Amino acid sequence: MTRYIIRRLLWGVALLVIVCAVTFVLFRVLPTGNPAILRAGRDPQPKLVKEIERVLGLNKPLLVQFWNYLKEVFLHFNLGYSYATSQSVRSLIAERLPATLSLTLGAAVLWIVAGLGVGIISALRRHSLADRVAMGISLVLISAPEFWLGLIFLYVFASDIGQFKILPGAGSYVGITSDPWKWFTSLIMPWIVLASGSAAVYARLMRASLSETMREDYIRTARAKGLAERQVVRHGVRAAINPLITLFGLEVGVLLGGAVLVETVFNIPGIGRLNYQAIQSSNFPVTQGTVLLAAMFVIVANIVVDIAYAYLDPRVRYQ
Amino acid sequence: MRSIRTVAAVTLAALAALVLGACGSSTSGSGTAASGAGAGVISTGGFQTPTTESLSGKRGGTLQVLDETEFENLDPGVAYYSLDYQVVFATQRPLYSHKPGSTEPTPDTASGAPEISADNKTVTVHLKEGIHFSPPVNREVTSEDVAYAIERGANPNVANPYFQSYFEAIEGAPKADGGPIKGIETPNKHEIIFHLTEPKGQLVADALVLPLTAAVPQEYAEKYDKNKPSDYVDYQVATGPYMLKNDSAGKVLGVGYVPGKSATLVRNPNWNPATDFRPAYLNEIDIKIGGTKTIIGRQVLEGTNVVENELPVQSIIKLAAEHYKSQLEISPGAGSHYIAINNKVGPFSNINLRKALWAALDRTALDKARGGELVTNVATHFIYPTIPGFVQAGGLKGLQVDYNEHPEGDTAIAEKYIKLAGYPSGKYTGGKTLQVVGASNAPEKEDAEIVNQALEKLGFTTKLTLVEQSTMYSKYCGVPKEEIDVCPSVAWGDDFPDPQTVLDITFNGKFINAISNNNWGQTNVPKINAAMTAAEDVVGIGARATAWAKIDNELVEDAAAIPFDWDKDPNIEGNDVHGVGDIWNEGDWDYDYTSLK
Repeated sequence: MTRYIIRRLLWGVALLVIVCAVTFVLFRVLPTGNPAILRAGRDPQPKLVKEIERVLGLNKPLLVQFWNYLKEVFLHFNLGYSYATSQSVRSLIAERLPATLSLTLGAAVLWIVAGLGVGIISALRRHSLADRVAMGISLVLISAPEFWLGLIFLYVFASDIGQFKILPGAGSYVGITSDPWKWFTSLIMPWIVLASGSAAVYARLMRASLSETMREDYIRTARAKGLAERQVVRHGVRAAINPLITLFGLEVGVLLGGAVLVETVFNIPGIGRLNYQAIQSSNFPVTQGTVLLAAMFVIVANIVVDIAYAYLDPRVRYQ
Repeated sequence: MRSIRTVAAVTLAALAALVLGACGSSTSGSGTAASGAGAGVISTGGFQTPTTESLSGKRGGTLQVLDETEFENLDPGVAYYSLDYQVVFATQRPLYSHKPGSTEPTPDTASGAPEISADNKTVTVHLKEGIHFSPPVNREVTSEDVAYAIERGANPNVANPYFQSYFEAIEGAPKADGGPIKGIETPNKHEIIFHLTEPKGQLVADALVLPLTAAVPQEYAEKYDKNKPSDYVDYQVATGPYMLKNDSAGKVLGVGYVPGKSATLVRNPNWNPATDFRPAYLNEIDIKIGGTKTIIGRQVLEGTNVVENELPVQSIIKLAAEHYKSQLEISPGAGSHYIAINNKVGPFSNINLRKALWAALDRTALDKARGGELVTNVATHFIYPTIPGFVQAGGLKGLQVDYNEHPEGDTAIAEKYIKLAGYPSGKYTGGKTLQVVGASNAPEKEDAEIVNQALEKLGFTTKLTLVEQSTMYSKYCGVPKEEIDVCPSVAWGDDFPDPQTVLDITFNGKFINAISNNNWGQTNVPKINAAMTAAEDVVGIGARATAWAKIDNELVEDAAAIPFDWDKDPNIEGNDVHGVGDIWNEGDWDYDYTSLK
């Protein structure tokens, strides 16, 4: 197992280098990619553009720029400096990460609890009214874009523009350390909106997976042995949940890289918005840093998922 | 384009004549009603405008500002866009500034009008006494601080975006790199003299309203300016009534400005109201960055102590116009849009085909796509309302030529010019497929589609490409070698009160660049070039207005491009806010005059 984890980590590092290279190339071939021209105002004189390129180090050959960047990232964990504010990308990310963590982890708890709960009930009461209603709602939630759902929630529940002014609206987010209660209430709507689609997917997947599992021979055997239905269901759930773990790991990993839409609608200053703003202004170091962070989260999440598999399913053993 | 700086220019007298009436169509009004430089009759539908706002207010309170967009750069030596200007002009005092409803420069750090020598090659400015920097610098501002502020504009680490355009006539400026410039003399603490190598005194004097001229203390800023790029912005000190909140060491970053999140302006304890014309009613301005304009618009219209400082989305403008009338301000003179057509190569190198397209085009449809009369006027020429020369160039109606007379389009006139171009059928039969490149965002996408339809009606085969707006400029329309035939929606606004800043860079052949070219149509008419070069040296607002208006007419006669929209700029405020907009800054709220009711 240890060897497996080490091997996966090494592959993860290799993958990060590849992500670095792809982002670098993509950014450079994108039409808006010369930040020197953008920085030089609307009537940029060639002399000024060249000076800015020199200051930003953009005048060096691309390979040299890339090599320097890799060295800084992997040897010094230095992600460079924002072209716009000259602030270190590492500190920008550190500033934004708590908001994204708060949003993602809270929503993840919500969609796991709601999704699995509804899925289990639906699977155990197939074709009942509750099952039909739950599956109907889940279809609506899967179809509803986060952005639209966020606007609806704000128009209905936000304390400033809502019809029922019961929850803090857009732009109300504060850090957990400055005001825990305000932090909590400001995230209720974003959590629900971010979790709703995933919860619906999980509910449907869990229903299908558990329904199938509950028809397996070993479940019938367990019942025949006289096990309490609650214990039978527990065995069933443990087997049925495996496919969802992969999905959960990937989804959390991706969201930790930034939930752009929800962060935008609710004006939460997280990684997603940082990346979006950086792309808009061709702020390459920030884009690269946030993409790298997102890739890292996905890779780590994958490794965690694989380890979790082994724990949940004794049949799985890694070499 | 909102991000393009708009600093319009007219005299106070002219602005008094700038009747922002509530009646009549903006396109049907008398374009020659006002006689002052830059005056015109612009309907703003009865909504408040910067020129009619009361400047009195109640002291105290905190204003909340909601902006979806992040600042570009708040360093006075770098700032160039209207959003940044709102903060910069509340915290910094250039040599000259504007009052909200005026585009006439008012001495700010300067004590009086600039003195331009008879040969137009020396500009002398005297400074006020008693202006102090905010903490931690605290000392009095001197002429050396103004000199350093301008000199650092040439420092590659600062890289001011307009230094080369407006200050290169200063002796030694072309080779400046941040050190002393020979042509900037400071004979005493309160006098600064600019020695020029060309007779461009008027242009340099006009440009002293730009924030680059706001004093910067060298002994404090120099160490930050040595960094690549300069990070003085994160430690900046103020001379205006407000300052970005900082810590005891002067650090602003993370204290008064958190990138992507917020900016906080507090009172500058060293500001002396006796030296300033600004009332500075508010105690604090809290700017929140991010969110979406749809939500922000609702938060402002239904909120208190709050304003939005950007162009609201169309649905919000409509909502405000219908249900929150007193909370909507409409400002004219917010720039212009036109269709760039390739004068150099392709079918439109033929002047008659350019005139045919002008005649055929339904410019009212283009304006409707942008939101109609509430936010636009149909353009008939290039110098737009509030800019000196607008009236002299024909006012609202523009030059009376047949292809300019029917904004809704006239097929018969279009056919006439196509025939004159050598196509007897009245349709283009040259076989060339036109490259049309537009922006994919609204309303530029609609602009492109309308123009494309007009081209097809004239018989052209087109290849329409829609790309992201900055890509349209940086990869296609701004790169002559791409040989784009038509760019359906390009935008321009002035940098400061002078028609030269509207016409010169965009139509003078000498400014055609291989990259980032702003003369999108590659207009290069020797006669017009010569007229522009001559007009650059003209002294006096009236004389310059006349000279540039004549050039404007020549551009219309040449159908160098097709103007279709003079922008107006709507802004919204909470119901207990007395917002005062700046006409010289696209009508954006002025923190120095805005107050809470």
